[in-house]
Order: sequence, then structure tokens, then C-alpha cells
Amino acid sequence: MKTPLFLVCAMLATAGSAQQFMTRAGSVSFHSSTPVEDISAANAQMSAVLNTADGGFAFQVPIRGFHFEKALMEEHFNENYMESEKFPNATFKGNVVGWSNAWADGKPHQVQAKGKLSVHGVEVERTIPATIQNKGGKWVIQARFEIPTKDHKISIPEVVREKIAASIPVTVNCTLDPR
Amino acid sequence: MTRRAVGVLLFAFLVPATARFQPDLLDVLNEGVEVPVVPVSATFKDTRVVNVQSNETAASGVLHFVIAHRFGRLNEGAYALWGLDNASMRMAFDYGVTDRLQVGIGRSTLGKTLEASTKLRVLRQTTGGRTFPIGLTLFSSVFCDGLRWTEPERTNYFTSRLTFVHQAIFSRKFNDDLSLVLVPSLIHRNLVPTPEVEHDVVTVGLGGRYKLTSRFSLNGEFHPFVTGRPAGAQPSLSLGCDIETGGHVFQLHLTNSSGMFESAFLTETDGSWGNGDIYFGFNLSRVFTVRDR
Repeated sequence: MKTPLFLVCAMLATAGSAQQFMTRAGSVSFHSSTPVEDISAANAQMSAVLNTADGGFAFQVPIRGFHFEKALMEEHFNENYMESEKFPNATFKGNVVGWSNAWADGKPHQVQAKGKLSVHGVEVERTIPATIQNKGGKWVIQARFEIPTKDHKISIPEVVREKIAASIPVTVNCTLDPR
Repeated sequence: MTRRAVGVLLFAFLVPATARFQPDLLDVLNEGVEVPVVPVSATFKDTRVVNVQSNETAASGVLHFVIAHRFGRLNEGAYALWGLDNASMRMAFDYGVTDRLQVGIGRSTLGKTLEASTKLRVLRQTTGGRTFPIGLTLFSSVFCDGLRWTEPERTNYFTSRLTFVHQAIFSRKFNDDLSLVLVPSLIHRNLVPTPEVEHDVVTVGLGGRYKLTSRFSLNGEFHPFVTGRPAGAQPSLSLGCDIETGGHVFQLHLTNSSGMFESAFLTETDGSWGNGDIYFGFNLSRVFTVRDR
């Protein structure tokens, strides 16, 4: 008698959390382009979660997961610019504006995510345009936005200023599975 | 239905209801995630503190090129522009075979010495999921004196030109700013001036850096003798700074050693800081990525 009731209980509990979609293998890349030097880096360790009950959305990117073409660039990125020992993650936490379950129709939708972007330990209120699409029960999210280094107190010394763009375009791609 | 069953049913409906009071989504992302083990990086800005090896090696596929100069002694006075009229030079190429193994060659004007070395990171200091407090790097080098024989008429063996140095570099980055190395060195000289002189010399050196800004640090090192101190030899003492600019590191320093390679500065330093036998000098390094990672 007790066992089936607990089963029911467990099923109901999982039904409740299926509103969350998640990944731990999202990709983020950025490209700094100046006439002097092009610098790019990629990271496949982004984790992201979407709550389809209310459009809540968050992602987290481990800074040390960014890999560069040149080892020294990677060291400088971690040591001098991002201070990844002190600030190991970049995060975003907010909501997809005007979330609607009608978006799960398999077509791509232009949406905006509004919330707090934290990079280098500095939180900035941002509204980030993104494309979301429900593909076979998974949510595919793509976004492109810029991170102005100044906003996040990432100091770039005079000597390398012409090698590093003041605003860094970032590309995000992830596919969120039901949790 | 018993009262207990009703209780369980109520509980069953309450669980999904409370689940709707979402925990912080960022906490959800970190649920059950293991803290990664992170090797400590950039203990020093360059592969040397001043003269002595730091724990750092050239990264995999990276060619690390060094040009170093030591000018004359400051106490030579104005006539020699406080030593700047004279300079001795060292050039070296170090290559990262892997992120842990470096091989190198170098040539110094002092003694026309040619050197070949290997450097291996055996243990790395780590933080995060598993912490390990120190790093251990091993360095071995052979030095070949290139000067013409002073007594060409006697039998001179090639092996008489050779000196070997082995070092264990214990390193620790205490925080972002302070890093120290403890470096025991064994120097074996195949040829010594007289039979009474010992072939083996042991020193135990201490070196460190303190970062004042993210791109500027003060460095120093001191190598007292343990055994086999050659007559007239002084322990090598150097003070300087590192200036980092993108792909270059400039190291400027004052030292009582004119030699820039291990066997010279550890066993042949004859200058005394007290007498002003101080050499101004610099190391300039540049990295080239020659193989894709």
C-alpha cells in the first residue's frame, strides 16, 4: 500500500521539475579584432538553465575554460585581465522577457533576456537579444552580444590598447535538455 | 483510507507545489558539480627569477627566446660609464616539447660557453578540488667551455671542458603577489684548477618575486654555498624587477655575478656587494608560438 503511494509521489515531483531545461556543455566564444591583432577564444564548458514555467534563465561560464591559440594569451587573459583566481566564473541571471509557452512551436523566436551579467566580479544590468527554438523537446538558444571591457572594470594597459578591442563581441550557443 | 495514507498523499501533492518556489537558478547550475582541480599558473612571469631557474617552462609548442646582458661593474666609475662600456651577453632558445618538458640551448660570451638543458615540471601546485601546496621542477644542464686551451701542448680532453648542473626547484605561489623558490643545486666540474679543489659544489638558493602591479614585480635571489666553495667565490646575490609588456618580459637587475648560466653564477661569482662589484644587466625574453597546441 505504501510503496505505490511513494511512487506516485516521486512521479508528481519529477513532473514538477520537468519545467527546467539544462546543459553543461554550451559553447561561448569571443573575438577581439583590431588592425594590429586578432584574438579569439572558445569555451565549451558553459552551463545554462531555463525554467519554462516563468522564463527564468541563467548561465555560468568558467573563465579558465576559455582556450586561446597562444598559451601566453591564455595566461595573460587569466592572470592580468579576468583575474580568474578571484573571479572564476562569468554569470547571467534573469528572465526571458514576456515568456510564452506558445514559443514551443518549433519555430525560431527573437526574444530578449533581461537580467544581471556578472563578468570580472562586476554586475551590469543587461538586456540581451537572443534566438530560441524548441527542437524535439530541447531548447536551442543562440545569442550575440558585446561586452564593453570598461563596464566590468577589466583594465587594459596603454601599451596593449591597440591590440585589444575595447568592446568584445561574444557568441553563445547551447542546447538545453529537459532536466 | 488510513490517516497515514492521506498524509502521504498530501505530501505527494505538496512536493511539486513547493518545487515551484524555485531555488536560485545559478545554484541549480552548480548542483552536484565537482570543483575542478586547477594547476596554479604564472608563479613567475618568466623561466628565470633573475639568474636562477623559476618553476616555469615554455608552454607546449612555444619557442622562448632570451637575450641577456650584464654590463661592467658599477665601481669602474665614470671613465667606463659605471660599467656600461663593457657588456657580456647570453643568447638562448628554449622550446616547450609539452607543457611540462622544456629543452634548451644557449651560448654565452663568458668562456664562449655553450649549454644544453632540459627542464621538467614533475609536480604542480594545485588549487580547487584537490590542493597541492608546492611545485617541483627539475633542471639539468651541461656546459661546454669554448675557449682555446691555455696549454695546447699537453693532452687536453674534450670532457675537461664540461661542467654539469642539476637543480631541484621547489616553488610555491603564496598568493597573487608573492612567489618563492627554494633551489638546491649540485655543480660538477670535470676539470678543476688543482687536485685539492673539489669537483662538486653544492649551493642552496632562495629566490622570490613580489608583484607590485599586475605587470611589474620585484625579484631577488641568493645562493649560499653548502659544500665545495671555491677559493675566492662569493655567494651570488641579485635584485631586480620584471616588466611585462604583451609577448615580452624585461628583467632589469643588479647582481654581483657577471655570468648568466648556472655553473658561472653559482661557483664563479667573485664580486662583492660591499665593494660595489655590482653588475647592471637585463634579460629580455620573447615567445613565439611555432607549433599549434
